[in-house]
Amino acid sequence: MATLTLERPTTPRPLNRPRRRGRTLAGRIALYVTLAIAAAAIMLPFVWMVISSLKTNNQVFSIPIQWIPDPVVWENYLDIWTKSDMATWLRNTLILSVTVTCLQVLTGSFAAYGFAKTRFPGRDVLFLAYIGTIAVPWQAYMIPQFILMSRLGLNNTLWAIIALQAFSAFGVFLMKQYYESIPDELCEAARIDGLTEYGIWRRIVFPLSGPAIATLVLLTFVNTWNDYLGPLIYLRSPEIWTIQIGLKSFVSQYNAEYALIMTGSVISVLPIALIFLLGQRYFVQGIATAGLKG
Amino acid sequence: MAVPVLEKPAAAPAPPPRRKPGQRLKVRNAVIGWTFILPNFLGFATLTLVPVLILMYLGFTSWNAFGQATWIGTENFQRLITDKTFHTALFNTFYYAAVHIPLTLGISLGLALLLNRKLRGMGFFRTVAFFPYITSIVAIAVVWNMLFSPDSGVINQFLMWIGIDNPPGWTTSTDWAMPAVIIVGTWRDMGYYMLLFLAGLQAIPGELYEAARVDGANGLRRFLNVTLPCLRPTTFFVTVMLTINSFKIFDLILVMTDGGPGTATLVLSQYIYRKGFEEYDFGYASAVAIVLFLICLVVTIVQFMVNKRRER
Amino acid sequence: MRRDLAMKRRLMAPASVLAAAALVLSACSGGDSSTSTSSDAGSDTGNDAASGEAVTLTLAGWSLATTPEFEALADGFMAANPNITIDVEDYDVNNYETQITADLAAGVAPDIYTVKQLMTFPTFQEGGQLMDVSDVAAEISPDVATLEHYEVDGITYAVPYRADAWYLYYNADLFETAGVEIPDGQWTWEDFDQAASDVTAGLAAAGNTDALGNYQHSWASTVQGFANAQGQGDGEFLEAEWDYMVPFYEEALARQAEGSQVDFGAITTNSLTYQGQFGTQKAAMMVMGSWYVATYLSQVESGDAESFSWGFAPVPQQTTETAENPVTFGSPTAMGINPAIDESKVSAAKAFLTYIASEDAAIALAEIGITPALTNDAVADAMFAKDGMPTDDLSRFAFTTHQTALEVPLGTDSPGLQTVLGDAHTAIMSGSVSPQDGIAEAMERAKSEVLD
Repeated sequence: MATLTLERPTTPRPLNRPRRRGRTLAGRIALYVTLAIAAAAIMLPFVWMVISSLKTNNQVFSIPIQWIPDPVVWENYLDIWTKSDMATWLRNTLILSVTVTCLQVLTGSFAAYGFAKTRFPGRDVLFLAYIGTIAVPWQAYMIPQFILMSRLGLNNTLWAIIALQAFSAFGVFLMKQYYESIPDELCEAARIDGLTEYGIWRRIVFPLSGPAIATLVLLTFVNTWNDYLGPLIYLRSPEIWTIQIGLKSFVSQYNAEYALIMTGSVISVLPIALIFLLGQRYFVQGIATAGLKG
Repeated sequence: MAVPVLEKPAAAPAPPPRRKPGQRLKVRNAVIGWTFILPNFLGFATLTLVPVLILMYLGFTSWNAFGQATWIGTENFQRLITDKTFHTALFNTFYYAAVHIPLTLGISLGLALLLNRKLRGMGFFRTVAFFPYITSIVAIAVVWNMLFSPDSGVINQFLMWIGIDNPPGWTTSTDWAMPAVIIVGTWRDMGYYMLLFLAGLQAIPGELYEAARVDGANGLRRFLNVTLPCLRPTTFFVTVMLTINSFKIFDLILVMTDGGPGTATLVLSQYIYRKGFEEYDFGYASAVAIVLFLICLVVTIVQFMVNKRRER
Repeated sequence: MRRDLAMKRRLMAPASVLAAAALVLSACSGGDSSTSTSSDAGSDTGNDAASGEAVTLTLAGWSLATTPEFEALADGFMAANPNITIDVEDYDVNNYETQITADLAAGVAPDIYTVKQLMTFPTFQEGGQLMDVSDVAAEISPDVATLEHYEVDGITYAVPYRADAWYLYYNADLFETAGVEIPDGQWTWEDFDQAASDVTAGLAAAGNTDALGNYQHSWASTVQGFANAQGQGDGEFLEAEWDYMVPFYEEALARQAEGSQVDFGAITTNSLTYQGQFGTQKAAMMVMGSWYVATYLSQVESGDAESFSWGFAPVPQQTTETAENPVTFGSPTAMGINPAIDESKVSAAKAFLTYIASEDAAIALAEIGITPALTNDAVADAMFAKDGMPTDDLSRFAFTTHQTALEVPLGTDSPGLQTVLGDAHTAIMSGSVSPQDGIAEAMERAKSEVLD
């Protein structure tokens, strides 16, 4: 938006220019200051996590809260690799997140085209069934689902989580709504040009949905990465634990290694934060529509 | 195959030559539609839809997770009518949803608009806004509980500093526990829905803003006449997801207050979990889940219809 | 052609849905017939078992990395029975019931599983998920505590191996600083309240404002466990007649109001841990379960807790009359056999259950600081031989001599009653309602929702 403002020297009101620029500058500074304060407040729990990860277990919770750890236990960041299978957990979590995300984006966006751009009887009812299942809390049908998975021989394998997460209704819903904002005329034109529906999906609709796919990738990745209950029920052998399950192994019946839990949590947040920082570049207004109206 | 063919002539004896191409087109469309949906549907149906349908059946049974599920008709639902704790949970769920939905909707849309700029550092701020969603929920609960601590917490110290002598007890008070949970819920979810709005904003052609600007529309006008209508599919998606997720709120309450003090923040999802996994009354838990499902379904259908009407 | 394909596709989806539904429904309605699936979980051992020699049993335990008791029992047993292997499977300690329930429902649970909370025993027993082990019960020592709780209509379904009881822990150094006499084993609750207040005042006078006289953790059991053990008449708990809890709540609230222990709200909002409070000398006394003995010792070793002169005494009593054989409460942990176990492994599984209740197993457990279900002098010697254990007679008396009532009296309604009481606990302790009103409300709720 700022660039747009600067681009407007042709406006027939040159008198406004200096004042406008001054205002924008002041406005921008105010904006940054507000954002910086808000950012600091929002990051507080994360900051607390980092501080706690540098304490001993019994110092993590105390009144009054200790904002500066004394002593600073840097060893936690070394111990966690030797005291636990952190590397295995990270690897499993990464395998799951990547596989689930790929499958979810592919099947989800494919199905979304069926819901958004084709018409057939029963389509809306079927779609409601998809949304309807979102409305049922997972813990209510967990046992029937677990029985089913066991019968299929999937429990205690990574496949269970892949099967569970990859076909969720969420991705279909998200992509469908995005496809609906892509003008039908575009598809019509492609049809006249002789493209099949699959061709339209592959060549036109899918490539145009960059921001939606970026969103779906980010959210699916994060949800799979941070999923706790699913892996808790389905992944029992320590060699297939994910990071969220692994961190819980620092909790025993009568005690818990809180400092290590926080250390592990900090480590587990960093990859997602990085992926987000890279992925959010797709959210710059204008990219998506560049090809659309040309 | 035979069924639809036999049915059609009986249903409509009207001129056959005209109908045939239409019929063929319909089937063709159905084939195409289904081929798109099928890969996802197969996984979805076997792993999600079936267990959900079984849950619907279990709601009419008495089942302790082992052995026979005994059909007891509507007994579970009759029990719900007089179950006061269920009523409390139902009320609390509506309370949470009624405040959390508009609040989160407004804040996340505002954030998306604010951060949808090509300014330096926006990527960083977007990441920050998303951070509450990716931070471990246990850490979130711990820190917020400390901030809300009635005597030593930062929030109350601030309130007393600005002259409020009797600040609320937040999570230790039956009246203020729910507002505290709602604040944290909104804080946690805003980045998530902001992201969805950001994606939606990308679909709005920049030319529309240009045109509006040329027409002399001010910021508010552009927002009302360009942004909101173009954002409609996204808004619909966000509203439905936000509604369902608010009615299903579970993990945050569990780690923050565990439904307390007393039953002040007990919600339906948690009640389902308690009845199932703590009291082994899975039939009754399923019945509560069906009620929760129906509530969400009704609200979703209303939103669906409103959305359809606006589409025209 | 194309239409044909369409129909096939169209039918395929619903068909697969139906097939899957049938699969699960058959599982939901026929729990007992699910033995076939569990046998393929252990099929690799099936052949060996048939040949008569080596047997592998699976056992459900939790947090194996930090909970040595399962490995200790398995190792001890395997040393005596070289042809039997015990594979311990790792469960999550906080979600053990959820996980084991799912496993049992799906027929994939281990051969032997731990009944972690006595309260869930009736559910597993009535659900047909525990094998009759009366022959094991007949063989083991009559001194094994709490065995009777696992008996229904003359049939025993599980065998306890540990039986935790609650003690009064104290920090002798802080008592000395405050100039107050340490517990002498004759305390009533009034003596306890007085000591909490005296120590708080004494410490403040000596310049230590960090520590208080007592720490009472936020759990409902720190009040209700004692009320059930010491204040309850016959069967009142199961009938939801809970008036006897009111005085126990009044005392707890009085200590809190006086400032001799941290306030409930401060505990929950700051997520205080009892290990941190007692272990880093923030409190001179604490009532807590016997498991804390091992926790404290290992925390001193790891540097998480400070080292100070400590000991434990019997918990305070209603009157001095019971001081000879003090009444406390506790919670046993037992193991039972999954009825879906392969026929050929049953005798090996029973041999293991016999072992866990033996003196050998009890000593092995005591050596790692765990309170076994079987207590005698040999076990006590093993327990107090550990480095860092208190050496005074009162601690040993507290370990060996007590009547242990159940934390929550046993019945099918117990889980439901406990949920209601848990809500009442947070409401009362946070000061949202008075003890009278809170208990009255809970009684009403329990009667209309839990008891029929």
